[in-house]
Amino acid sequence: MTKCSGNDKMENKKERIDLLFEENANEQLAKVDWGKLNGAISARLDEAQPSKTSGRRYATVFKIGAGVAAAAAVVFIAVMVRMEKPMDLQFKDGQRAVVKFVETKGSASVEIISRSGRSQVLVDIGYARTGIAKADVEIIDRNGERKENGSQAAWIIIRMPEPALADNGANEYLKDLIRLF
Amino acid sequence: MNESRKANNSDIERLVEASQAGGRGAFDELVRLYQRRAMRVAVRMLGDANDAAEAVQNAFVKAYLGIDKLKEPGRFEVWLLRIVTNAAISQRRAAKHRAERIKVADCYEDKKAVSLVDKAVGEELKETIKAAMGKLSKKEAKAISLFGLEGLSQREAAEIMGCSAAAVGWYVFEGRQKLKRLLKEYL
Repeated sequence: MTKCSGNDKMENKKERIDLLFEENANEQLAKVDWGKLNGAISARLDEAQPSKTSGRRYATVFKIGAGVAAAAAVVFIAVMVRMEKPMDLQFKDGQRAVVKFVETKGSASVEIISRSGRSQVLVDIGYARTGIAKADVEIIDRNGERKENGSQAAWIIIRMPEPALADNGANEYLKDLIRLF
Repeated sequence: MNESRKANNSDIERLVEASQAGGRGAFDELVRLYQRRAMRVAVRMLGDANDAAEAVQNAFVKAYLGIDKLKEPGRFEVWLLRIVTNAAISQRRAAKHRAERIKVADCYEDKKAVSLVDKAVGEELKETIKAAMGKLSKKEAKAISLFGLEGLSQREAAEIMGCSAAAVGWYVFEGRQKLKRLLKEYL
């Protein structure tokens, strides 16, 4: 077997067996109705569409950084990786956790941005980290009048098995727990 | 020339990023650009266009649902082909358990111009190749299917397969040896 570099184009090293396969593949592909295949794929994507956006019907553009901020030193947010359960969170149906954010003065903020009906929360993980955690969220209480101890509260749900840590240099399997007071 | 080869890398990256932002139209464009390439790989692995079409549909659905996990939009093709080869393996497994061939949305069109004799020979070759590919290991089947794909380097094939470039070469060698024995009357 000839040794070759990683960037070698492999088509120059074909044998008769490869040509046989090529011939069969060309024959098969010549019979494909590409328009119908494209339509079939599109139909399958249409079926898959609800599972891509389910449970996010509450999400719209909703920046709560101005209304909800938290002290970095006491900011905890559960970032769940795989099936690990972070502490101090309530789970319903084994599928989601409810995390409460209460406005206080401080350097951390929570921003929820909707992307075509899908919301995400981008959170500064806090003093110990410099990266960003991403999580899919479902907002279950957007009542702007709600106050607790003089602070405005909003509830979000972080959905499992997402979110995942993004570019924060931490071990991917660590969970970061940041709680807001 | 394959549609995907005409589009440049920055176009692909933009489409991927738009898809990640929720743009279904952008993903549809990626499907249009890559469906032929995906089908070619799947047909080479499975030997049959109907099975390949099913695998390719499954692959694009998986890609659509998981596109947010793609951290480097520029690596879309490699990422997609990995999904396609895995979907083809699943399809191969499923096909082995089925008595009849799957017909998928009439996307397999018979050319009436083909003579009866040619059709018989072509069908026989197809079935023989399909059976022979089914006897290869997963790695051998993937390597054989990716090997020689236009514009795909051995390094990229290795990335798709999750092994070293040298290992790709080995799997191709082993796969070819098996296929030569199984298909000797056609060589």
